[in-house]
Amino acid sequence: MGIPIEALKSKLAGIEDAVFKQIETTEDEVTLIYFSSLVDKLTLHQMVIRPLSEGILENSSEVIVQPNISELISAITEGSTVVYFPKQNVYLKVNTFSAPSASITVTDTESTVIGPTNAFTESLETNLSLIKRRIQNLNLKSNNFVIGTETHTQVTVLYMDNIANKENLDIVIDKIQNVNHPGFNDSSILQKLMDNHPFSPFPQYHETDRPDNAVSALLDGRIVILMNNSNGVIICPISFFELFISPEDYYNRWMTASLLRSIRFFGFFLTIIMTPTYISVLTYHPEMLPFDVLLNLQESREKVPFSPLIEVLFMELVIEILREAGSRMPTKIGQTIGIVGGIVIGTAAVEAHLVSNTLIVLVAISALLSFLPPNFIMSNTSRFMRYIFIFAAGMFGLFGQMIAFAWLFHHLLTLTSLNTAYMTPIIPRKSSDLLDSFVRMPAKFLKHTSGIAKAQSKKSPPVEKEE
Amino acid sequence: MDMNKVKTLNRYHVIFLIQNVIVGTSVLSLPNRLSSMGYSQWWMPLLFGIVANLLLIPIIWLGLQYKNDTLFVIHEKLFGKWIGKLINIMLLLYFIVIIAAVCSSYIELVQVVALINRKITIPLLIFLCMVVYIVSGGIKSIARFCMISFLLTLWFLYFLKWGVMDGNISHTLPLFNFTKEEFFTASKKGLMAIGGFELISFYFPHIINQKKAFKHASIGLWISIGFTFCFSLVSVMFFSQWQLKNVLYPVLNLFKEVELSFLERIDVLGITMWVFLILSTVAAYLWVAKKGLDSIRSTPKKIHLYIIAAVVFVLVEFPYMEEFQQLMFERVFYLMYAMFLWPILLCFIHILKPKKSEGGE
Repeated sequence: MGIPIEALKSKLAGIEDAVFKQIETTEDEVTLIYFSSLVDKLTLHQMVIRPLSEGILENSSEVIVQPNISELISAITEGSTVVYFPKQNVYLKVNTFSAPSASITVTDTESTVIGPTNAFTESLETNLSLIKRRIQNLNLKSNNFVIGTETHTQVTVLYMDNIANKENLDIVIDKIQNVNHPGFNDSSILQKLMDNHPFSPFPQYHETDRPDNAVSALLDGRIVILMNNSNGVIICPISFFELFISPEDYYNRWMTASLLRSIRFFGFFLTIIMTPTYISVLTYHPEMLPFDVLLNLQESREKVPFSPLIEVLFMELVIEILREAGSRMPTKIGQTIGIVGGIVIGTAAVEAHLVSNTLIVLVAISALLSFLPPNFIMSNTSRFMRYIFIFAAGMFGLFGQMIAFAWLFHHLLTLTSLNTAYMTPIIPRKSSDLLDSFVRMPAKFLKHTSGIAKAQSKKSPPVEKEE
Repeated sequence: MDMNKVKTLNRYHVIFLIQNVIVGTSVLSLPNRLSSMGYSQWWMPLLFGIVANLLLIPIIWLGLQYKNDTLFVIHEKLFGKWIGKLINIMLLLYFIVIIAAVCSSYIELVQVVALINRKITIPLLIFLCMVVYIVSGGIKSIARFCMISFLLTLWFLYFLKWGVMDGNISHTLPLFNFTKEEFFTASKKGLMAIGGFELISFYFPHIINQKKAFKHASIGLWISIGFTFCFSLVSVMFFSQWQLKNVLYPVLNLFKEVELSFLERIDVLGITMWVFLILSTVAAYLWVAKKGLDSIRSTPKKIHLYIIAAVVFVLVEFPYMEEFQQLMFERVFYLMYAMFLWPILLCFIHILKPKKSEGGE
């Protein structure tokens, strides 16, 4: 029985921050083994050295009964301190993980005007605490997994035992266990590995960094996946429509919320058809515009030498470049350059007769519209979809656009999130879903869990059987 | 999606499959087809609805006798393997020509209204690719597509407002101002506008609640009859008798009357939006044709779908014998009447045929 300390030493050879510290106590000369990068000196002193000298270390530590080398190594890489007593040949493990972590801050990507502003951090335990302090209920259960063949990243699956659908839970667990990937920098990678339709441009899981979002999802019977070192948590299953719901909708008055929500949802469709319609109307169907409007349009692009398709592509790409440059630049330069660049390029392009005034307006509006979805991935998708529509319109005018629409709708209809259909208002149907759709009814009507969650709670009417 | 399960269609699927497959291009020209009856034609869609509902009875009854079999299998069971296969081959050819006819009439319309003086080869190709994409999802994905196209095209009815405002309600009277011959010409030309409900005998095995299928099918049928009725009533109110006789697509001209401050010529938008209805119609027919080829070759294969789509493309784009092509596309719809009556004959054969132990299931 027992592993000689030399075996550990040889395993940890070549790791400069692995510390073997000899301490003399009254009875023995013990060895502490830990990673100095993961263990704070103060913590080490409080948790290990002082109890050791007072002889009460056994109370705050865990005895490794039948030590094997891999268990010891994984304890050390997790940030624990292993204490070796050579006389008794006993290993003790003390959880001393105290790597510096960022404090809880305000969310950047999903900001709202009213409502809680806390965001998840990159520490799994902090994130768990952010959720647990909001749901003080024993029914909040969790499952832990370690994934990533090289990184050994910790993942926690959270769900409400009395609400969440167990089939969904099984699917999630099965998917996580079957993930085979060397490393995870962010939960979005796990999300992509769990996708049912990897080739689709649409996000099939909701990723949020707002604890209130995660909590309301849990209460609706969804499953929330947290990952260590990632400040985004995954919510599943989700529907297409939910990607346009901001938590602020529930903090606002219901009428305002309904208006804003509808703008966000229809904005998605507007942003993908606005500039394509400009192309198809000018190229194929000028007769569709009333005479005065057509005259206006023609005047504004009188000196533009390009076809509408080239004109639109040019302007859309400029906007895209500005946006991308703005997000890559250091923040301090980014904002000024972005705004100035936009105005300068916009006016200059018109004055140089590269694009028409009308198009600048349309492009600007559709660029703004594309940022309306609270889910950032969705807003990226909407910009990508626009190019498909632009080319379709350039080739076949309105007919091409309609075919593209047919493709879009059919694609959305076949998509699934966690084997549940994605287009909730159409499938799976549940009449109570309508209370919380384009119109967000006053809070007292919103008693039911949504259809897509297929929750087991009694408060919800049954879902039309279909998946 | 759940491709392996057989029973996949719930009531909404049945309703909208029936409803959307019926609405095709022929609705656009229906007032013109019925024009031999003059102004008295406006209630004809209601009559067609009753006829179609009666024709549904034998179809559903036959389906209930063979709960797990499509019409193709029923043929083989009733007539034996070889005669059954022969009938199925004829059916397959009929479906292919129908698909080609629907595609060609729609694409020609697009060429006339939206893509003036442009080649239609590539639009047709893309259209067919889209259909194949929908069909490859199975009958349930077609049904879902039907639902979405219903929701997207429902607001066309609003555009009839201008027709109603400028129309004259007194056109609807007298009710029975026609001769017997006129009535028969009109029904011969017009009845094909409601074709499409007979496809239920092919997707009947996939319906979950088969006992209530008749009710759901009737609901779907009457929704589309309602559509058709609105169009022909407003056409009668708006157009003169001469216009009804000579305007090929009266419904499109109704759309032209729409006056919005920011948009004119709604018919362009209308005809391009109509692609949703045509896609759902063609997708359903193509799915049936694919099933037909599967049953003839006795093995379900994905390539069958592409083969049929390719044949349709060649049929529509065939550069020679345009007259024959035109004639074929026109006449094939009369075969639809045979399709309407065929299940009745099958019902009789089923009753007269000596029962075997496996036959009834």
